[in-house]
Amino acid sequence: MLQSVPNTWIWKGSTLASDGAVIAKGEWHPANSSRAIPAVLREDGSLLVAAEEGRVLASAVPERVEVSSRVGSIPRRVSFPDGSVFETRDNEGIDTYLRAKRGARSGLIHRLERFHPRLIVMTIAVILLAASIYRYAVPVLVEVAVLVTPPFVPELIGSGTLASLDRTILKPSELPEGERQAISEGFSKLAVHSKGGQKAYRLYFRDGGVIGPNAFALPDGSLILTDDLVKLANGDREMILGVLGHEIAHVEGKHSLRQLYRAAGVAALVMLIAGDVGSGVEDILTQGGALVALSYSRAAEAEADRRSVELMRAAGYDPAALARFFVVLEEKLGDHGDASILSSHPGTPQRQQDIRNYAAELEGRPQAR
Amino acid sequence: MAMAETTPRAAAGQYFERASFTGSASEYFGIWIVNVLLTIVTLGIYSAWAKVRRMRYFYGNTVILDRAFEYHATGKQIFIGRLIVIAFLIVINISTAIFPPLGILTPIVILVALPWLIKRSLRFNARVTSYRNVRFDFVGTAGGAFVAILLGSFVAFISFGILAPLASRWTWRYLFNNLRYGDRPFSSDPQLSRLYGVWILPALIVFLGSIVFGFIAFVVIIGAATVMRESAELTSTQMTVLSIAGLYAGVFIYFILYGVAGLFYRAGVRNIAWSAAELDGRHQLVSDISRLRYAWIAISNVIVTVLTLGLMRPWAAVRMARYVNEHSGIRINGDPGEILSSIEATGAAISAEYMDMEGFDFGF
Repeated sequence: MLQSVPNTWIWKGSTLASDGAVIAKGEWHPANSSRAIPAVLREDGSLLVAAEEGRVLASAVPERVEVSSRVGSIPRRVSFPDGSVFETRDNEGIDTYLRAKRGARSGLIHRLERFHPRLIVMTIAVILLAASIYRYAVPVLVEVAVLVTPPFVPELIGSGTLASLDRTILKPSELPEGERQAISEGFSKLAVHSKGGQKAYRLYFRDGGVIGPNAFALPDGSLILTDDLVKLANGDREMILGVLGHEIAHVEGKHSLRQLYRAAGVAALVMLIAGDVGSGVEDILTQGGALVALSYSRAAEAEADRRSVELMRAAGYDPAALARFFVVLEEKLGDHGDASILSSHPGTPQRQQDIRNYAAELEGRPQAR
Repeated sequence: MAMAETTPRAAAGQYFERASFTGSASEYFGIWIVNVLLTIVTLGIYSAWAKVRRMRYFYGNTVILDRAFEYHATGKQIFIGRLIVIAFLIVINISTAIFPPLGILTPIVILVALPWLIKRSLRFNARVTSYRNVRFDFVGTAGGAFVAILLGSFVAFISFGILAPLASRWTWRYLFNNLRYGDRPFSSDPQLSRLYGVWILPALIVFLGSIVFGFIAFVVIIGAATVMRESAELTSTQMTVLSIAGLYAGVFIYFILYGVAGLFYRAGVRNIAWSAAELDGRHQLVSDISRLRYAWIAISNVIVTVLTLGLMRPWAAVRMARYVNEHSGIRINGDPGEILSSIEATGAAISAEYMDMEGFDFGF
């Protein structure tokens, strides 16, 4: 800190150009001034002195003089209590003095940083640590973040996303009122059995445009169902409800929030650790990576499938109705090749089988859970 | 030795000098890897001190007229700044959990606090920077930050980038006209027409790029559909995978397009804003970055960094710093030695520095 002790440095026109050993050559700035005077730093008895030929510019006991720590080979600052500064590029000179004065521990960080085979070991340590953080620490952090997220965050994300989708891709639904009514009623029956209860979910009907046959859930419990999916079902309402059960499960499990945090967490860790990930393309890269991480994980999909079976069963529908959706989707896609673009739910035969197996398994159990 | 007093090379008239970067990738690698290692081992706490070492390295190697810049912030200052921000977020979280209606206020509070935080951050960063023992200072207001940064971004965003030059003008005027070096002010008034001059190329990149890639996508889809009809070999799963891959490819291409256009724009605007800037109303700053070269360095830096799992990041950072420094300079009106010796620090920048917190670093 800058204690201001005015004029401790003394102008002595003709003092002896004394004997003390020169520590380093450099230049001296008066306090708060850009004026520079060529000078040397030397020890004068018990004092540390910045001096021009034969003239002391500043002096103080070493304890009150601040020497900036070494970083690479940038200039060093030696700050005197009066605010004046001696600056030098002679890092070796300063280091030699400091080692003699303060012992071998001074400048430890700099010695670690020096180009040396030791850096290979450090690099390997960093790689191993980074990998284990990704594997073990990020999932824990994501859970903590989900736990402490205030409710307005998913609401903000949900309403924001819906508003921007409405402005760009989605159009108002053209389904007949009766059809919508019927689906909504079935949906309410499902939602009653979910964790948040009926109030936690809202179903929106939209013409999906390029999205095609699809349904998706926003973190605030808004579910969007496209007209194309209803048409694809061809009157099979149970199948639609199976899909909605799957989407309810995504909201229940806070899957989208988790994905969002995972992406943000990875980006934040990279920034914290690497420090200067910086600007421009780097941002885009982080965002691109985040985007890829946004699609639900396999495990989340499987969990949502099973939950759909449970909800459908509880509401008294065919528990395995969701499997039928995958069958239809598969046929449809095979026929025309117009896959739904935003679909993150590839319907594999394996998934259909898993759904049927789980439904059968629940059937075999007594009704009460 | 480089530290010797600058000899007057031109007794009168104009004197032009470029900055340089004296660091090296191998030297910075050691600093960087130790920063990363200690940051991980200390669960992130060291990152504040790591930042100081990194900044000191880059400032200390940025040399103009034989003198380097200096970065004076301490790890403790930055650490406290970060603690305050984290504490603020925790308080918000707890209060909204206890009393949910507060949640509606939170975005408003953040929006109000943001310009103030931007201002503080700019001031902090200016005050911890010195050249020839004289500190910089920033005297901008929160209201100015609101217009220059938030309103500017908003205007640029809702006009799909068409008004971006206007936003850039606000931002750079705010940055430069409030910047002080000791007792001398900076000023800059980049002309809108010149900003639009450098806006055209990136705008064309986005516009033509969209058309070209849209056309390619169209051809690919038609082609794929034809193939699909003729051979039933592709299973539906493969189809789905293909279409998802296609979607990501599309989004990715857009990111790339905007990213490249952004690089061209950023370099162009910097050239104009710097070249319109003056120190003390007499000495002109100069920036002559080649937009193509800048974009190439940035893009190849990212590719190399990713391919080496981040290990070449120090090399990339040094390479960029060297290029940008070597294309920045100052044209001094008079004798540089004499002029630079006459600048004195002013009171505010000296006394208030230690009470300032960093908060966020917006990286201007």
